[in-house]
Amino acid sequence: MTDRLARIYAIVIAIVVFFLTWAVVAARPWAEPTAAAKDPRLVALERREARVHRESLRVRTVLEHRYRVYRVKLRERKKQIAAINAANARAAAATTVTSTPSWSAPSAPSVGVVTAPPVTNTHTS
Amino acid sequence: MERHAFRAMGTDVEVLLEAPPTPESLLALASAEQEFHRLEAILTRFDPDSALSRLNAEGTIQPPAELREVVELALGARARTGGRFDPTVHDALVAAGYDRSFELIGSGPITERCSTPAGGRVHVGPALIALEPGVRLDLGGIGKGYAVDRTASLLAAHGPCLVNAGGDLAIRGVPAQESWPIGVETSEGELTLGLASGALATSGSDRRRWNTANGMGHHLIDPRTGRPSDSDLLRVTAVATTAVEAEVLAKALFLAGEREGTAEADDLGVPAVFVTVDGRTRLAGGLE
Repeated sequence: MTDRLARIYAIVIAIVVFFLTWAVVAARPWAEPTAAAKDPRLVALERREARVHRESLRVRTVLEHRYRVYRVKLRERKKQIAAINAANARAAAATTVTSTPSWSAPSAPSVGVVTAPPVTNTHTS
Repeated sequence: MERHAFRAMGTDVEVLLEAPPTPESLLALASAEQEFHRLEAILTRFDPDSALSRLNAEGTIQPPAELREVVELALGARARTGGRFDPTVHDALVAAGYDRSFELIGSGPITERCSTPAGGRVHVGPALIALEPGVRLDLGGIGKGYAVDRTASLLAAHGPCLVNAGGDLAIRGVPAQESWPIGVETSEGELTLGLASGALATSGSDRRRWNTANGMGHHLIDPRTGRPSDSDLLRVTAVATTAVEAEVLAKALFLAGEREGTAEADDLGVPAVFVTVDGRTRLAGGLE
């Protein structure tokens, strides 16, 4: 009687263990979740984020290049302006000295009649 | 040779620069034009906002340096020419009909006015110019000469150059061909002068003429009469060290007339070309 009861318990337990194992195997907990299982909107958003990031890197590179070129040109331009301003200041100082006519001792510049074709013409002002 | 032309001070301005067409030389030519316009804005009597117009309107001004310098040059020239060159002929010029920019003369009726004698008193102090009541200044010719000198000196840093504002011309530096050939109008055609340095200017009654009720008017006022000169000369071209000096000489020699003018040019050693009203050309001051 006792042996029979024990066998019945053993069979029931074996059946329960069998079904539990089956359920666990059927669930395939070791398998990777598939892409199809992901929300497609989330996937699209992730792709867009990656694209925007790449574009921002490209834009930053272009801007940095353009700014370097601008800085170089600006430095050259400032040098040119400084050189011209210095030359203008020297010339203005020279003009102040040379523009005062002196009739008491006129020193007419060297001039003569030539046959070369004129580079410009003068007439009544 | 770089050539740049523009219009300023009521005339065509031409700038020649013997330099390669680099950005610096092109910038220098643009700066020359800018300098001309800057000086015009100070020295013109046709812009009511110019420093000269404000001086004429109010009788006194704390002048910009350029106005003060040109007034001093003009007063110095008046003293040296015995009043033949006089910046106080403003009212006489207006009375003769030159009351607006020359391009506009003929666009409306010229108001008849009495002529006004010149010789007005002008006080130039350290920081102030004051005019005697009723005196007004015209710096048209000498202002243009001053602008030509300034512009030529500015350009000289970039190479040999020539600045020609109508009849006022200055050169700086010796070009590759050793002198600048410049065409001068004479009664027989064009005479070419080779100028190695300095400046020249032409004054005459053959341009800037207009009709008035009393006949043809022109802009060369004789300060002794306050009326357009009745000189027997049509035009005079004078050579000097600066355009300011050449402008003063040309005007003074024109007003002197043929006989006195040629004698004075010979005495002073001022190379000059005289063209008479009756169509003769005379060279003086060592020109042959």
